Amino acid sequence: MAFFLRMQKTLLLVDKISTWVGHAFSWFIVALTLQVSWEVFSRYALDRPHSWAFDVMIMFYGTLFMMAGAYTLAKNGHVRGDVLYGYFAPRTQATIDLILYVVFFIPGVIALTYAGYYYAEESWRINEHSNVTAEGPPVYPFKTIIPVAGGFLLVQGIVEIIRCIICLKEGHWPSREQDVEEVDVDKLKEMVHVKDEDIRSIPAGSGASKKHGAA
Amino acid sequence: MKMRKELWFGFTIMALIVTPVLVLTPWSHLFDANLTRADLGVLGLLMLALVVVAIMLGFPTAFTLMGMGVMFAWFAYRSANPDLAVRQTLDLMVQRAYAVMSNDVLIAVPLFVFMGYLVERAALIERLFKSLHLALTRVPGSLAVATIVTCAIFATATGIVGAVVTLMGLLAFPAMLRAGYNTSVAAGSVTAGGCLGILIPPSVLLIVYGATAGVSVVQLYAGAFFPGIMLALLYVGYVIVLAKIKPSLMPPLAESERRVVLSPVAQTLAPRGRNALAGLFDGLRRPGIPKRAVLGQLVASVLPGLAMGALLILMFHTATAPVIEASTAGLVEAGGEVAAAVQEESVGLIGAPAEEEAGEAQELSPPPAAEEAKPVAEAPSTAPTEQPAAPAERRPVPTWLWIFLGVTVLVLAGLYWAWTWERLEVFKMLLASFFPLALLIIAVLGSIVFGFATPTEAAAVGAFGGFLLAIAYRFIEHWRGPARSRAVWTTTREMGAILKESSFLTAKTTAMVCWLFVGSSIFSAAFALLGGQEIIERWVLSLGLTPLQFMILAQFIIFILGWPLEWTEIIVIFMPIFIPLLAKFGVDPLFFGLLVALNLQTAFLSPPVAMAAFYLKGVAPPHVTLNQIFGGMLPFMGIQLVALALLYTFPGIGLWLPQVLYGR
Repeated sequence: MAFFLRMQKTLLLVDKISTWVGHAFSWFIVALTLQVSWEVFSRYALDRPHSWAFDVMIMFYGTLFMMAGAYTLAKNGHVRGDVLYGYFAPRTQATIDLILYVVFFIPGVIALTYAGYYYAEESWRINEHSNVTAEGPPVYPFKTIIPVAGGFLLVQGIVEIIRCIICLKEGHWPSREQDVEEVDVDKLKEMVHVKDEDIRSIPAGSGASKKHGAA
Repeated sequence: MKMRKELWFGFTIMALIVTPVLVLTPWSHLFDANLTRADLGVLGLLMLALVVVAIMLGFPTAFTLMGMGVMFAWFAYRSANPDLAVRQTLDLMVQRAYAVMSNDVLIAVPLFVFMGYLVERAALIERLFKSLHLALTRVPGSLAVATIVTCAIFATATGIVGAVVTLMGLLAFPAMLRAGYNTSVAAGSVTAGGCLGILIPPSVLLIVYGATAGVSVVQLYAGAFFPGIMLALLYVGYVIVLAKIKPSLMPPLAESERRVVLSPVAQTLAPRGRNALAGLFDGLRRPGIPKRAVLGQLVASVLPGLAMGALLILMFHTATAPVIEASTAGLVEAGGEVAAAVQEESVGLIGAPAEEEAGEAQELSPPPAAEEAKPVAEAPSTAPTEQPAAPAERRPVPTWLWIFLGVTVLVLAGLYWAWTWERLEVFKMLLASFFPLALLIIAVLGSIVFGFATPTEAAAVGAFGGFLLAIAYRFIEHWRGPARSRAVWTTTREMGAILKESSFLTAKTTAMVCWLFVGSSIFSAAFALLGGQEIIERWVLSLGLTPLQFMILAQFIIFILGWPLEWTEIIVIFMPIFIPLLAKFGVDPLFFGLLVALNLQTAFLSPPVAMAAFYLKGVAPPHVTLNQIFGGMLPFMGIQLVALALLYTFPGIGLWLPQVLYGR
């Protein structure tokens, strides 16, 4: 028991690191919005386009989603086919996940990280610059993102594997840290000033018994 | 035991898929690098079958695709040259990943998603629904119609199905039930309306399709505009007809629900006369009435007239100016140049489709957008209206403009004749909720479709506009609230939180979509290497289908896939298989994309995995059952199929606008 509790702390720590990295790189979307908006203004209103704008834009976007990969995994946010999964007992879910993490995830992500490392290394060695324009910005930091993001993803994947093992032993999924959710019902209720009592007091609509439907 | 039954069903399907896979796998050759061409093709099909099983098991799809792609790519390379296999596999992988990272079409995804989250948090849906509800009181089934219209506008701006359905489930659904509406009808209009956002541009679905199929997103947006409007109108039409035939399902609203509260100035002036415009002019001359308030009302009243006037002047200028300044030949030439520039730009945009080995930086699209955008920006405003003006070859104003002028004057006269105090109040409410959002959408969409800006630029400016919109609405709410003195501070603090939340959510959604894209592009590369594509092609062609049969088959398969899978998975995994077949049957990928987008609407409404139903159930009162919600969604699914058939029979609904604008 104590072992699992200690384990749980380590898991949450890794989750926290992934989340922190993801949150930090999330701000790139603000930067991207401002940069592109400014570029549009600068080009149309000031008649002063910047040759590097396209490269910078791409780099913001690529870095944003690559670095958020581990964060999304930590929050269980990668899309799953939810046909049967939801009906399984937690132990069955953990078994399937465990097998597929080992069979698909680990080889795939290791290959990506390893390949990315050599890809980036070559770019550093030849001092590669973007050739979209004549004097493009350097590309090697951008390419370095591939192995870095792959590394974070791998660590988070190992944590997920340990989660599966804990779930197999305990019979229920270990907890995750809370995070902002796309559909946060409580927040939305607050936004439109609806309280739970209001919902409960809603009368049944007409024709609740006789079924209206397939027209 | 209901659960068991579903599990058994799922496992049976999986067994049906896995058994032939195990039998057909060329085991003997698998590990000795002696795979023949035919073996590889079989392996490719097996890979496809396995991926379906793996997705059904519920493992994160992106990594299923990535892992499977790596393995099978290695098999394929090994059969060609065992020594280089590992190197080649790794190279393929990293190049595919980098191609997604530097994809200049997908870059619009995070920006539109960001814009959606910001607009969603602007807290304007409540006003929007209320003003539309009051504006539409005279229509039969007014609450349901207002719900669908609110959904259509709000979903278009945000594109987040879950949030729109939840919000409307909190606002419109209780309002409809209180008014005595049938539960199923109410549920159907909320869920069906909430899903419109994935079809009506600017939608993320169309960007992802464009990136997968190598179709210009600009043209997809232009093409999806009218089908989206058509679907919304069909929904509205269905509700109105149903309310007319069976008034018991949607009883008319009580008087108290329809009453519009007038502003103080209006209340003092209203008893003197019915017409607000005359009343306001009258009020200006009378003593004892605050002049500023009257003037404010008057400005609001004349706005429609001013807007129409401005539109007329603009049309007059564009229609007559070129005829006076230049000869017709020059005109046509200029128009052609504009069209060419637009064409070239859109080609530049999709210059590096995901299909190609776009790993190297030099394959990024060249920056013609930078230089070319300027002439494009100046010219197109004249381009669309030139066509009707040119053939007339007359210096004076063309006839259609006179007709338009006459119609406008008549409409305005009718409008001001019927300009009652209540209408003025409703118009002011619309002005504060409906028009800003509509303006944002039109500005974003218009600048993309008419070629003023690339989708990326429009999305970024749209996100910025969404941010300003959120500031404005939050500030007004606090300004009118009890703590006026702290309005600025409260708004700033709130906007900080909104910005943070929206950024985090954007990062997660983008990572989800783009990692899926990384996985699938590795997967489809492996699939192509194995020759699976060829086998499918040969097989489909051997069936001897006519284009019509092929289209129906394809749409049917996508419809079926929409039950268990989400739209991201369907587009990203299965479109690469369908797209190469289109050329064989002479089907336009643009048109196919529009059909797919319309078709995938049903994916959200079809039980067992209808996301929209569960979001609504989550906020509905306990006595509303899932079956009632599903029952309410069925007629709307029927309408979607009708819309699909209509679009197929009259492709002009979708293709007319791209044809006019880009001369396809």
